[in-house]
Amino acid sequence: MTVESILDVDNLTTHFFTQDGLVKAVNGVSYRVAKGETIAMVGESGCGKTVSALSILRLVQEPPGKIVSGRVTFEDVDLLKVSNSEMRRVRGAKIAMVFQEPMTSLNPVLTIGRQVSETLELHQHMGRQAALRETIKLLGMVGIPQAERRVKDYPHHFSGGMRQRVMIAMAIACHPRLLIADEPTTALDATIQAQILELIKNLTRELGTSVILITHNLGIVARYAQRVYVMYAGDIVEHGPAQMVYDKPRHPYTLGLLASVPRLDETRKTRLLSIQGQPPDLIYPPPGCAFKPRCSYGTQCRDEEPELVEVAPGHYCSCQLSRNGKLPW
Amino acid sequence: MPVIPEWETTMVKNILIEVKNLSKYFNVTSGLFHQERTKRLRAVDNVSFNIGKGETLGLVGESGCGKTTVGRCILQLYRPMDGEVLFEGTDLCRLTGRELRPLRQKFQIIFQDPSESLNPRFTAADAIGEPLRIHNTVYGHAYQERIAELLNLVGLAPYMGERYPHEFSGGQRQRLGIARALAMNPSFIVCDEPVSALDVSIQAQIINLLDDLQRQFGIAYLFIAHDLSVVRHISHRVAVMYLGKIVELCDRDELYKNPLHPYTKALLSAVPIPDPKVEATRTPIMLKGEIPSPLNPPPGCVFHPRCPSAFAPCSTVAPVYKDVGGGHSVSCLLYPTSRP
Repeated sequence: MTVESILDVDNLTTHFFTQDGLVKAVNGVSYRVAKGETIAMVGESGCGKTVSALSILRLVQEPPGKIVSGRVTFEDVDLLKVSNSEMRRVRGAKIAMVFQEPMTSLNPVLTIGRQVSETLELHQHMGRQAALRETIKLLGMVGIPQAERRVKDYPHHFSGGMRQRVMIAMAIACHPRLLIADEPTTALDATIQAQILELIKNLTRELGTSVILITHNLGIVARYAQRVYVMYAGDIVEHGPAQMVYDKPRHPYTLGLLASVPRLDETRKTRLLSIQGQPPDLIYPPPGCAFKPRCSYGTQCRDEEPELVEVAPGHYCSCQLSRNGKLPW
Repeated sequence: MPVIPEWETTMVKNILIEVKNLSKYFNVTSGLFHQERTKRLRAVDNVSFNIGKGETLGLVGESGCGKTTVGRCILQLYRPMDGEVLFEGTDLCRLTGRELRPLRQKFQIIFQDPSESLNPRFTAADAIGEPLRIHNTVYGHAYQERIAELLNLVGLAPYMGERYPHEFSGGQRQRLGIARALAMNPSFIVCDEPVSALDVSIQAQIINLLDDLQRQFGIAYLFIAHDLSVVRHISHRVAVMYLGKIVELCDRDELYKNPLHPYTKALLSAVPIPDPKVEATRTPIMLKGEIPSPLNPPPGCVFHPRCPSAFAPCSTVAPVYKDVGGGHSVSCLLYPTSRP
């Protein structure tokens, strides 16, 4: 690859040791983010997309979770090897995160101004006054009107969309190199969702920040991501440039996902093509390809560990059927 | 069993439900100690529409726009302040609770969160059978058979009736909710965000199931959701709500091809289309600001503070909801006269 990557995740494995058994939430995934690039992690709930991102920041709760193996190379340093105090200097400063539910990630008893300027005081070593001035500037940047007045408000004074703007202000405060946005708009209404996503796009483009966008919404991926990683049951099953993956999905799961969402720009189909059955239990995953029990094409597939193979330049897929190039769909 | 052909016209024949000038206000108290200061929250403000037999009317809008309240007012779960809800000609608003009870068999509801709408201490069979027990229609062996039949209808195996809700996945629980709604052979079901809590692949299964059941039994749906692409897929006609009012109502294809209200246009453009090629050519219309509080709605047209096409009279004159031709109704000052 010619473009310098900012983050290289190699064979990351995160397991949860629960009372019911070992949950293989993330099972040896590898991905990379280039400078200034937006990648998307897409998949259904429980597929491991959030855990794979939290593992980068070592925010997986331990116990029950544990990053079992892998390497997370960020700016030539393996984040899984550095000390806790070094890790704290990375979190919020170089890699920032925006969570799905802004109300649960903001402290209800601190003012908004206090919470945003805390990041600046910690990482940029600003004084209180300077940090507050910077906070007002940041809140203005994310589109909060009358920022000078609103810094004194508490999270409950803000609407959902405004809280998410505060979260974004906090995330970009130290001009991070990488922003992880975990379902940043799932809790928001359609018109507010569009506002927030455009804001993230414009700000990150301005600052040259790379973005990992975690979502289940295939439309958002199409609108904002250059490359897409499709996750299923703890594994990346397909990845590549968004255009290629959408034009010619090579994995039957990706194909199924795309067929099961109705599209506004097409004449209405009489039926949606749904994927049969349920996602597998991650404690007892099926042997071989985890998608096989739900797959309508792979009845003949061998029970071997799936492996990502390059099926087109830059486009990888772990389906046995797509290896020989002849797709049954 | 009757097979209802797919709806092709926008003209509503065989009207099942007629909603006329429906309004529902809630009194909201403010302040911890001075609770006498009450304000009026206009959840639904003068809404009229009708639903034909075997038809699906989609109701979209953002949170707090009153779409759920409309559904509950039709079912008389909330008693409307004003207006009429005619169900096969009978005004439900005028009936007492006792008079309503036998009629309730005919209209049912499916809730958004299937895990909260099922009693955790009831088995699946108990939950589905509850309407049968309340209305006392079938007994003994016939009761068991009906439950097995209902489970089959929604794609579950009859032996699953002995399980408890926590033993089912989200999609399966929603199937139970549907089976319960079907128990009394209703002619109308309010589907209140039935797929919002589900994953994409499961969502498609439930939408297909609802579609199949409608074809099989000719049930009419009021399909409430915030996801415009899902609503367009399942509905024959779509109504768009904003701050307690219906701003536009038309045929599902017309809605995408020829949206009239600026809010509908913005809503459509805010929905990303899962194709990077298409997305590269679209520029979403960004609405200014946020949805105003329904406690204090703006004067004139409620949408005017955020409207990109607002002009002088919008802030003072409230638009009238009117038919502009071809079954397409809109409430906007940009469309003063009927289209030819």
